[in-house]
Amino acid sequence: MKIIKIQLLTVVILFTTLNISAQIFTGRDIMQNVKDRPDGYSRSSEMTMQLINKRGSVRERKVISYSIDVGENKKDRKTLMFFQYPGDVKGTGFLTWDYDEIGKDDDKWLYLPAMKKTRRISGSSAKKDYFMGTDFTYDDMGSRNVDEDNHKLLRQETVDGHKCWVVESSSKDSRDIYSKKISWIRQDCLIALKVEYYDKLSKLHRELKLSDITQVDGIWIAKRMDMTNVQTNHKTIILIENPKYNIDIDENSFTVAKLEKGNL
Amino acid sequence: MKNSYIILLLLLSSIVHAQDENIKFKFSGFADTYHAVRSQSPNDFMSSRSRLRTEFEASKGKSYMFASLNSTYNSIVEDATKIELREAFFQYTNNNWDFKIGKQIVIWGVADGMRITDIVSPMDYSEFLARDYDDIRIPVNAFRLKYIKPSYNIELFFIPVSEFFVLPVDEKNPWSITNSIEMPYTTDMDNTPDKTLKNSEFGARFSFYLSGIDFSISALHTWNKMPVFKYGYSQTMDTLQLHANYERMEMLGIDFSKPVGKFVVRGEFAGYFDELLEFSNNETITKNTLNFLLGIDWYAGNDWTVMAQYYHKMITDYDAALASDKNSTYATLSISKKILRSTLNLGAYSYVDLFNEASFTRFSADFSMTDQIHLMAGYDWFLGDKGMFGMYKDNSEYWVKTKFSF
Repeated sequence: MKIIKIQLLTVVILFTTLNISAQIFTGRDIMQNVKDRPDGYSRSSEMTMQLINKRGSVRERKVISYSIDVGENKKDRKTLMFFQYPGDVKGTGFLTWDYDEIGKDDDKWLYLPAMKKTRRISGSSAKKDYFMGTDFTYDDMGSRNVDEDNHKLLRQETVDGHKCWVVESSSKDSRDIYSKKISWIRQDCLIALKVEYYDKLSKLHRELKLSDITQVDGIWIAKRMDMTNVQTNHKTIILIENPKYNIDIDENSFTVAKLEKGNL
Repeated sequence: MKNSYIILLLLLSSIVHAQDENIKFKFSGFADTYHAVRSQSPNDFMSSRSRLRTEFEASKGKSYMFASLNSTYNSIVEDATKIELREAFFQYTNNNWDFKIGKQIVIWGVADGMRITDIVSPMDYSEFLARDYDDIRIPVNAFRLKYIKPSYNIELFFIPVSEFFVLPVDEKNPWSITNSIEMPYTTDMDNTPDKTLKNSEFGARFSFYLSGIDFSISALHTWNKMPVFKYGYSQTMDTLQLHANYERMEMLGIDFSKPVGKFVVRGEFAGYFDELLEFSNNETITKNTLNFLLGIDWYAGNDWTVMAQYYHKMITDYDAALASDKNSTYATLSISKKILRSTLNLGAYSYVDLFNEASFTRFSADFSMTDQIHLMAGYDWFLGDKGMFGMYKDNSEYWVKTKFSF
């Protein structure tokens, strides 16, 4: 009788697992789950960006970033970024109100300390530009609605001992700098281990590798990101330090007044 | 005495740090050196100056303090060799309130390089527009109180003693406004209003930051901070005497900024009530004026930015005896492009006096040699014979600048 119960339980678990797999087994669902991966309702971190050219010369950017989820379904996000280093950009700040709704441009403000002035900037065009000379675009740094790309689950692979889904995402927007990207998503924590970006000629353009993947306050995070432009051999390493989640800040902090103050 | 400022800043950091571990300190700044030579005969130096800027910040909890100091050596204008406290203010911020008191630069409005509602901090025209915009603005001693909400804020401020434009009148300064005067002259620039409570400035600004649009309404009880001159002669009639004049005026203005795709449309409109103007027979008169600006920024992608503005000023109830025309129009055009991974920034910024057909354009190249060192070079080009820019028609210059940040 006990054996029958165990077998029944095994069948139920197996069925449930298969059912979940069936539910998330499309490329779109996987990418939606990646986007919806728990990361708290608010967060902060310090980022060091190392820009390395093909001769090995290194330049650094240091940024403190705060963000909070807002809106009815908490799908929109407000972000404040303050540059700390180097000296000539110290005090420069970005305030972004990032909307999940497709077609709705983000609201963006840039504070220039030399001018002591906040400038409203376009929320649509800068997405395709590289962020402060790095290999990451503004779009890479922000959040992107899953339905801005067509997703296709290509296969499952094991990478560095981790089972991964391999998903191809083709951009629906011809203005995007990539035609498609292929992501290797770790199945256990829904973080990409690697992303390949292909240009309009379908040639490999950039390669992103994520490492130092760990849990902070119960939330999965990749603390290191290496983005290499394989066509120019330029590389950017982002190191995330002191990440904090569910921090005690409210929406009032994400204002132009705080942007001009230079900190929270 | 002057050196004691620097020593004080250096010591303060270590002393207070030793007293309270919770106070955070930052000590930073830059050293820069700028040299410009006239591009036409006699190819004399228009500017040759070096500066150390030190900035000191201290913060604890919701309190913040900032002080910056300029130590400048100027080889052309001796009076400009000095140590000056640039800004020094204390700020306290909580969720909804922000209080800032002290010497500070106040910037209003959305116009770029033009002043419509942005008339709180005056301008220092010691080298006309051939300096960084940050250096051209004059800080004011002010109390500022802001009530902050996510989508709007209300700002009130009070300036006990107003600051006024600095205009160069030293004949050794190539940018002197008196260079066209061919006879001996004296200037009286100190005829500013008495430092009394009655002569204080105050104002308010109500700003909205909404999804898809920003706009503000501002009001100011102020002065015409750009002096209007009256002329006289000495008893022997051999010396021209210039007297600066200032009068009360009010400003009521609105501004907006709206992104539209890759563009941002900006606008400002302000009425100046009782603005002081030059009249015939060496008299002055106050008139109401309307000031309007429309601008468009194009974020073209690939690190190209193009910005254009049109400015129009109209004197109402116009009198033909006024020295100024009823309408004056200016335009600006700015084009910039970042290349080499944003390490080289190429730009051109042009002011055009449409009525007088004269212009001033600053071409610049800014190369970031390392994270700390910037090398800059450019050309300032004056074109035309009339108006504000025509006055400097012989001042076109090549310039170089180096900046080390720490």
